[in-house]
Amino acid sequence: MSASFLVLCPFGLDEGLLCKAVELSGSAPVRILLPEHQAQTATKYGAKLVHTIPDEFRGEDEAEFARWLSEKALQWNATVILAPASVQMRGILPMMAWRLNAGLTADCTALTMDADRLIQTRPAFGNSLMADIRTTSEIQMATVRPGTFRCIERQVQDAIIVKEIPSKSVDVKVKTVTEINETAPLNQARIIFAGGVGIGSLEGFRKLEKLALLLGGAVAASRGAVDAGFAPYRCQVGMTGVTVCPDLYIAVGISGAVQHLAGMSGAGTVVAINSDPKAPIFDYADYGIVGNWESVIEHVLEELL
Amino acid sequence: MHILVCMKAVPSTTQVSVDGQFRLCRDSVHLQWNVADESALEAGLRFRGSEGRVTVLAMGPTKLEDNLRELLIRGVDRAVLLSDPSLAGADTRATAAALAAAAEHLGPFDLILCGRRAIDGETGQVPGMLAGALSVPCVTNTDRLVFEAEKLQVHRSLETGAVCLEVSLPAVVSVCEYSYNLRLPSISSMRMARQKQVEQLSVRTLGLPMEQCGLKGSLTKVVAMSSHFPGLRKGPKEENLVVGASRLLQFCREVGK
Repeated sequence: MSASFLVLCPFGLDEGLLCKAVELSGSAPVRILLPEHQAQTATKYGAKLVHTIPDEFRGEDEAEFARWLSEKALQWNATVILAPASVQMRGILPMMAWRLNAGLTADCTALTMDADRLIQTRPAFGNSLMADIRTTSEIQMATVRPGTFRCIERQVQDAIIVKEIPSKSVDVKVKTVTEINETAPLNQARIIFAGGVGIGSLEGFRKLEKLALLLGGAVAASRGAVDAGFAPYRCQVGMTGVTVCPDLYIAVGISGAVQHLAGMSGAGTVVAINSDPKAPIFDYADYGIVGNWESVIEHVLEELL
Repeated sequence: MHILVCMKAVPSTTQVSVDGQFRLCRDSVHLQWNVADESALEAGLRFRGSEGRVTVLAMGPTKLEDNLRELLIRGVDRAVLLSDPSLAGADTRATAAALAAAAEHLGPFDLILCGRRAIDGETGQVPGMLAGALSVPCVTNTDRLVFEAEKLQVHRSLETGAVCLEVSLPAVVSVCEYSYNLRLPSISSMRMARQKQVEQLSVRTLGLPMEQCGLKGSLTKVVAMSSHFPGLRKGPKEENLVVGASRLLQFCREVGK
């Protein structure tokens, strides 16, 4: 029996994830749950069974939402359940997995099929290893790093679109008091200048900020730089920070630990600047500059001004 | 208020090794508390109130007793070590099952705090599964907790900003690293700790069936490992910094188009 795929994007479509599910499911139709306004987009990327929820749905009572989603998953006979590894979905899926007696793998960076079994690849044990994980339960679940998979258009003509209304608990356990929209989150920037331990100081980061401002980019940091106190935690890119997929990612003084790579491997173009020609980051860059980063920045400023 | 803080000890180095079943070898490495779990503990200590108590629960090898004793010195009321060879190799589900059984044995608790994820496994799944097992609400990824009029408000960071949520208790809340800095021992907390002992819990005490424990109770299994991160690009390397800087500018301008 082939696997029955359910893609959960209730807070926004992850096109790459849907495309991956369509690729892995073969001839079996892929089912997706997403906000109403994205229904047509889902059919463009190969979804045949489209379930929509109201655009304004927030799902803050995640335990209740997880209960409703679990019921739906059973009703739809889903055997593979995938979701983007956003903060909210990473909160909801563990509760679903518990209810559904399903194995769940977090933050996958690759997915393949072995008969009806999903092989999930993710970084493990700090920064040194990649693990392939197999799930033994009937229902297999995984969250996937946003921006990991490429989008391929496959227009579906005969898609079925159904409206759903998530249940509301009579006894509300979690409710929103205020919403804070922060200015331009890092994961929306098109150009990111990321500094590592090699930046060496807080002043170094100021220089990087100045350059980013001139070139219309945002500043990010590696965990090492945050731990050293060079940059605030909200700037941290990588497994313990945020995932970004900008058009251009410039890694400055970053060695390239797997943990960091996991947060930026979806970037369009990667440029690495490092004085150590053997730094692993060069293997993951489209263009490398071997040398002192401050000199490189000076040359850039000279050409700019 | 009675607060339970679940804490994990992680290797202090990233140079770790795995055994034939891809289980992390924790015997040979120095273990330290996961940074986010220390944040969770400090939040717990601040909100326990004058009548309240903070219990720390850790699952891991017997040598963790020393790490737990250090937490007693920092002012924790009760430190419990759940150590059992049958728990080795637990995935997030088997871990949550064991922690939930221990929480039910030690509780009831008004609030259960965890770090948002451990730096070794980095799954962040245990808090949600624990909440699932205990049938209580869960809020992950918080960086500020406020108690007002018996109600808990938490500040939760999302990709698009943040939300402030009101959570009814009991609940599981996971706390981000660096949100609260764990306090140092005080003279009175050191004195109090002298009368305390780290308590031991075993799978038998909890009445957990063996098939739900450790590797046996896990629904996910590691089947292979490699040391390569996918997505090699291996682009050219430039040593002339003027040429490099000029190419870098060109990349930036291409994005601008």
